[in-house]
Formats: sequence, structure tokens, C-alpha cells
Amino acid sequence: MDNARAWLDKIHAFEFDRPIKIMNVCGGHERSITHAGMRGALPKWLELVPGPGCPVCVCPEEDVYQAIRLALHDKVILVAFGDMLRVPVNVKKGEVRSLAEAQAAGADIRPIASPIDARRIAQDNPDRPVVFFAAGFETTTAPTAAMLAEGIPDNLSILLSGRLTWPAVAMLLDSGSPGFDALVAPGHVSTVMGPEEWSFVIDRHEIPAAVAGFGTESLLASFYSVLRQLKTGERFLDNCYREVAHPGGNPTGRRLLDHTLEVVDANWRGIGIIPNSGYALRPAFAQHDARLLFPDHTDPGRRRAGEMPPGCDCAQVVLGKIYPNQCRIYGKACTPRNPVGPCMVSDEGACRIWWAGGVRVAVDA
Amino acid sequence: MDDTRILLAHGNGGRLMRELITDVFARHLGNPLLDTDADAVTLPHVDGELMVTTDGFTVEPLEFPGGDIGSLAVHGVVNDLAVAGADPLYFTVSALIEEGLEISALDRYISSFARAARQNHVVVVAGDTKVVRRGEGSGLYLSVAGIGVRRASTRLAMDRIAPDDVVLVSGPVGDHGIAVMLAREQFGLSGELRSDSASVLPLTRAVRDFPHLKFMRDPTRGGLATVAHEIARASGHSVVLDQNAVPLRPEVVSVCEMLGYDPYFLACEGRVVAIVDPFAADDVLARWHALPEGRDACIIGRVETGGTRVILETGLGGRRVLDELEDDPLPRIC
Repeated sequence: MDNARAWLDKIHAFEFDRPIKIMNVCGGHERSITHAGMRGALPKWLELVPGPGCPVCVCPEEDVYQAIRLALHDKVILVAFGDMLRVPVNVKKGEVRSLAEAQAAGADIRPIASPIDARRIAQDNPDRPVVFFAAGFETTTAPTAAMLAEGIPDNLSILLSGRLTWPAVAMLLDSGSPGFDALVAPGHVSTVMGPEEWSFVIDRHEIPAAVAGFGTESLLASFYSVLRQLKTGERFLDNCYREVAHPGGNPTGRRLLDHTLEVVDANWRGIGIIPNSGYALRPAFAQHDARLLFPDHTDPGRRRAGEMPPGCDCAQVVLGKIYPNQCRIYGKACTPRNPVGPCMVSDEGACRIWWAGGVRVAVDA
Repeated sequence: MDDTRILLAHGNGGRLMRELITDVFARHLGNPLLDTDADAVTLPHVDGELMVTTDGFTVEPLEFPGGDIGSLAVHGVVNDLAVAGADPLYFTVSALIEEGLEISALDRYISSFARAARQNHVVVVAGDTKVVRRGEGSGLYLSVAGIGVRRASTRLAMDRIAPDDVVLVSGPVGDHGIAVMLAREQFGLSGELRSDSASVLPLTRAVRDFPHLKFMRDPTRGGLATVAHEIARASGHSVVLDQNAVPLRPEVVSVCEMLGYDPYFLACEGRVVAIVDPFAADDVLARWHALPEGRDACIIGRVETGGTRVILETGLGGRRVLDELEDDPLPRIC
């Protein structure tokens, strides 16, 4: 903690005559920031903005809906990361609105913590189709790809809802009003894809950026780095997670991603289609593609951009346009016990993190 | 016939069941008070307040570094009595065994149960076994009731807790939660961290007669933060924990950092949280420090007026509310 104090002192030594906003794009970062009480310890002129960093939050509604239908009607064992189970879809009152409700209605749904668990469940149940609903960023998609490349049981298929993180940041930057002055790039994503994936932030947009890990020291070091860049006018992609995020990332992981999956345009819940931001199984793995094996439940009619539930500002929260407690229903209609939007469900969701961190006062946007 | 595994017939009341009880349960747990043929037993008279508690045990995997379901069950019930200021005396145990469990494994767990019971001077006075069909249990569930006795003058109670009281913990928190998780070899992680599963009786005996000791509880499921919430709710005051002071092992810190877990919510199975008058805190600590179980004991927080919240003062000087657990903690996926 001594080093953290030192970084904090160095940050306090800066003076800015305007508010400075640093965006993070990883739920893990936001969690560390909130858990450490960093906002209260940093200078008043510095704002930390949670951006698109929650894979559960951006998973399109039609994918969750399809997973629910599959589990209810096709007698499959549906496995998903625990966070996905309580994500609500937009259906009429009385209809099953989450995987957890489908489970209560008799569907065989099993929460898992790692893709390996999906393979184990398929091996243990050779007579039944098992569908792995794989929502996630590069970090969880890479192990899914590795599992595919190694070979998976015939009865296991994948409902892939994998997303790349950088295209969402690129979209914000290209919009002309990104809403932040500097970026803290995600540590685990950089571990897989390599830090240099984030060079475009500097090269194309001249926005300071630094890769950070999840510890207090690494995050504070990254804040210091981008603030110093703002002050001096210097621009470079700093790496404050050198012990884990190496240049080039994880070559094996990247090779397996490329071997099994292709990058496609993809829908982000509440945000819309972002070019080259999603993963899909390559044709060579079609026999494991749940979208092809169970086409009945694909409903293109659900593919609308603005399908957050009424009143829910999750999309604005995900894009860093408003803080969680500026949502119209934060802490009122929407709490972790009765979440309306996905940001209040997932441990990676900014609303959930703020609520768990004790933020109870809603404020106007 | 496979005679190395538990069959449904081991639960049918016949010869196999009788042999299982004789060869495994009575062999390890036998004592003058345990009569496997009786429906009920009479217990000797005891002086003092009788206390009773009950708890069910399930753990996956059944064996983990630092313990197994047998020793875990004994420690769990011993500790519930111990933190109430009592000495445990008599246990009853119900074993729900899943068809297919290896009899040698069952023997190990019951032997481990018996060893832990002996160490705490507890005898098993009644028992029961049932066999559930394959797939309907996770190997073995144990349900244990414990009877203990304490001095009638003992005054440990939550309603004595007052603002400015000090919060102590007897050792590092979160070891059991992380040790069991590592033993499952999930997330591609493995490690040698041992569970803290242990009897806290030496710790509670050493301090329970201090008049200025107000309350003790063993943080198990839900960890330190959950005990702090129970204290806050029952006392009507807030509990403030000092992040820099809460003892954590490096392995726990690094796994938590990797997976995004909060160590304050991780299970312990051999720690005591105590609430003490501020001026008596050093006396309690001195007694604990003299014991191997209490070497790392320290002050980790205090009771404050205003609200019934649990607040963590972070290493950076910020304050963060530790909310009650909503769902099970999940590993981060980004």
C-alpha cells in the first residue's frame, strides 16, 4: 500500500484547471476502483468513468432470449456463466424473462465458472445435447476457442456471443464526443491480445492511454501515466501491467482464436451494431455452432438496437455517458434483488458495482 | 458384487447396514455412551447452562488441503458452541451417504471426524445413516447436533455491543474459501493453501471469562463481512473495518485479485471475531497471541454510532460500504 500512497501523492501534485475524465473499459477495473474507494481519495478534478467493460451487459437481448427458448423447448442442458442467469429479457408479464426463471420452470440450466466446465458436463451427459452460452470478451472467448481447437464432445455446441472490446472504444472515439480525456486499457484483454491493440487510441486520436492490472498500485500508476501525458503533451501507450501483459499478448491464444473464430459485425445490447466487434464460429466448426443446430429460436425480429427495458439507461451507463446513479431507475425500480437492466445484474456491471459499493443516492444526469 | 462401494442396500436396515455401522461408525466413534442398538440414550447430569446447536455439512471436494468433511463437521459444531462461551460435550451425527461412495473414503472421513471429536473431548452419543441414490447427493452430507455447557455467569450477548467497542479477529480470513476453491481446480488455478478448518475452543476458553469481552462469533459462510452485518443489525450500530488491518494471506490476496473476489466475504472455518471494550482489547490480544491459533490476532475495526452499516476504510483513506451478499460471489469474466 506504500507504493499506492506514493502514486496518490504524485497524482495530487498535478493541477488541472478543468475536470479530467479517465475511462476504464473493464468491469474488473471498475470493481477495483470502487472497492478501494479510489474516487474519494483522488483529487476533485479527476473523474473515473466506467465505460463498455461488462460482457454480460452488452450481450444482445436476442441471444439471451434464444438461450432461454433453447433451454425451455429443446431439452438441452444449457450451461452459461453464472452472471448470465439473471439477465432479464423484454417479454410480456408472466413469460419467462431470464435463464434463472427458466431453470425454476424446469429447464436444465447449469451455471459454470470456466469453459472447461462445459466440456465436463457434456462428457458426463453423452446422451444429451449440451449448449454452452458463451457470452464474453476476448478473455473468456479465448479459452472457448482453445477448447474448440482441442476438440470437444459431439454433443456440445456453442451459442457464441463473444465480443471484442476495442471496437466499442473506437466507436466512442469516432463519434467525436467520446466523453473522456484518457483511457485505462483493460489488463486481461491485453494479456490475450497484446497491449499494442490499443495503440490506435494514441495514433489516431491522440488520447493518452495506459494498460492497467487490477491491483490498486497498477491502476493508480496508469492514472498517473495518462495524466502526465496530458500535462506534457507527450503521447504513448504505457503498460502498467508489464508482469502479465506482454507485447504480442498470448500468441497461442490469438492463433487459436483466429483458427476457430472469425470476426464479424455484432449487435451490442442497447447500443446497436458495431463493425468487426463480434466473434462467430468458422464454418469448419459448424457442427458445434448452436445457432446452426437450433435455428428455430433465432428471432431476427428481436434484433433492435434500443431494446433496454423501459426507463433503463443501461446503454448510457455502458457507454460512459452517465454514471450509474444517474440512471432514472437506479436504486428505485432497479436493485440487485430486482434488476431491470443487465448493468444491475452482473458483478462486472457498473450499476451493480456501485450499488455493492454502497452508492445509494441517485443524482440527476 | 462390488463390496468396496456404498450400495442402496447399505441403507435398508439389514445386514449390510448393520455391518457398515459396526465396521465404520462404531469402530471410530465408539464410547461408553454410544449404544448402537438403543433408540435413545440418557445423558449424565451436567452443572451449568446446557446449550444446543445443529449444523449441516456439505463440501466439494470432500477432502481438501487442511481437512475433510469429517473434521470440518466437528470443528463447525464445536466452534458454534465455543463462541457462545460453552464447552462442547455430546454430539449426534446423521450421515447421508450417496450410493457409489467408496467405503474406504467414508472410513477416512468418519475416522477424521472421530479424531477431531477426541481432540475436543466430545463424544458421539447417537447417530443415524441413510443412503441416497446416485446423483441425489454429493458423496456425503453430515448433519451434526451438539450439546455443550457453559457457566451460568457467562454474559456474552450482542445487545451489550456499544459504540467505540473494538473488533478483533484471531487470524487471517478467507483461507477456507480459497483453499476449497483451489482444491476444485477450477479456473485453471491450483495451490497449496490450507484451509483454516480448526477448533477455536482454545481461543474462546482463553478469553471467555473476561467481563469486558462482549460477543464472539466464528465467521463461516459469508465470511467476515457477513458477521459484521449480523453484529450491525443486532446491535443497531455500524461496524467499521480497517482494510490495512484485516489479516490476509498472500495466496488469498492474489487469487482474489485474479478472480475479482472480495476476501471479506470468503468463508473461514477456524477464526473468531470478538467485540471487546476498547480498554480490554490488549488483554484479549495478549491471551490470543500466547496461543498458536491466535498468533496473528489483531484489532481490525470498531463499532460506530449512526446507521447499521458495514464500512471498510480502504488503504487509500476512502470509505466503502460492504453490502450484504446478494448472490454467490462469481469470478470475473472480463
